[in-house]
Amino acid sequence: MKKILLLVLFIVGATSCEKDDICDATTPTTPRLIIQFYDISNPTTLKPVNNLRIIAPGFTTGFSFTGVSKIQIPLKTTENTTTFSFMQNGGDTNTTNDNTDAIQINYTRENVFVSRACGYKTVFTLNNSNGFVRTDSTLPDGLWIQNFDIITTNIATENEIHVKIYF
Amino acid sequence: MKYMLKFTFSLLLILVSCIGTAQEVKTLDAAERSAAKKDSIVPKKERYGIRFGVDVVKLTRTFLEKNYRGIELAGDYKLTRKHYIAVELGNESKTVDDDQLNFTTEGTYIKVGFDYNAYKNWAGMENMIYVGMRYAVSSFNHTLNNYEIYNPNTYFGENLIIESGEKFNGLSAHWIEVVAGIKAEIFKNAYVGFSFRLNNLVSNNKPENFDNLFIPGFNKTSNGSFGAGFNYTISYFLPLYKSTIKEHPKKKK
Repeated sequence: MKKILLLVLFIVGATSCEKDDICDATTPTTPRLIIQFYDISNPTTLKPVNNLRIIAPGFTTGFSFTGVSKIQIPLKTTENTTTFSFMQNGGDTNTTNDNTDAIQINYTRENVFVSRACGYKTVFTLNNSNGFVRTDSTLPDGLWIQNFDIITTNIATENEIHVKIYF
Repeated sequence: MKYMLKFTFSLLLILVSCIGTAQEVKTLDAAERSAAKKDSIVPKKERYGIRFGVDVVKLTRTFLEKNYRGIELAGDYKLTRKHYIAVELGNESKTVDDDQLNFTTEGTYIKVGFDYNAYKNWAGMENMIYVGMRYAVSSFNHTLNNYEIYNPNTYFGENLIIESGEKFNGLSAHWIEVVAGIKAEIFKNAYVGFSFRLNNLVSNNKPENFDNLFIPGFNKTSNGSFGAGFNYTISYFLPLYKSTIKEHPKKKK
């Protein structure tokens, strides 16, 4: 009888305090767009960006990258288009050396089940024709992004490079 | 993984049968001794019949919880002095409201197996302290009411809750349960009993782009294939016939 009681206690203990409804940060969920920067004069060499500031139109805050050649930017999960201003030297206080290019990313979305704790994630497929579009900003200062390559249109994980930019 | 499951289950099966045989040997010895002592006593009679009942936990939850409705009918048939055929038949509907998901699962299940009574009753009693096994099949569907897109990056604002209503139909799961429990007579022919169950999924037919997070009869599934259950039954014993306790041939050596 004591053994049965112990077994009962064990089962109750093992089943009662089960906590699995917190989404672990290491679980791959909605991916960001991964961009890597290369040297236009030597297209196989990585080139770190300096004081790159990325901001969405209408936003006052953005992302700043400096000294890195790989960046991550989020895509809108509610629309099929995300637009950003890529401001070269936009991260420093000097505004005279800024050069802004507008980047429009066009894609289709799909919501994929992850787990009970994480719910769903959105994965993106860049459009073949206009997946990544760069235009000069309203201030005609020329394009600082000389060229780009879409490496994969399938934005499902952050473990790979999606777009290469040459400058 | 599949092989590991098979292995675990073979092991469990062997263990359970070991318990079974161990108990049998013990009671036989006791029977031998008692039979040797009282040789000329009137042969004992045992009642055989069907016991059927209802799970009170599920009924209570149906009244108390807004998001739950369920019923489970349980029955057993005394086959031999120690062995019972046992069946549980149930239907459950549950709405799970998690941080990221809200879904409703509805389904029916049946569990069939045996119980081995390790309790030595006095004449005319059918109390049980038992172990047993069940093979269970559940057929169910989910309705995904709403969900949230998990996006660790909230630059474009907080994650929206998306109303869905998508249905995932025709799903099924099979599993094996190891049962341990007691049943005790409280009034004439009326019994209360409870049992604990350890479950292991054998097959789980998962829907596309969702998961069987709740399986009627099995309960909530986490990452593994193990689960646990509990029931508390009130049942009625319907005696069908009486049988004289057969004297075991071993005794006459």
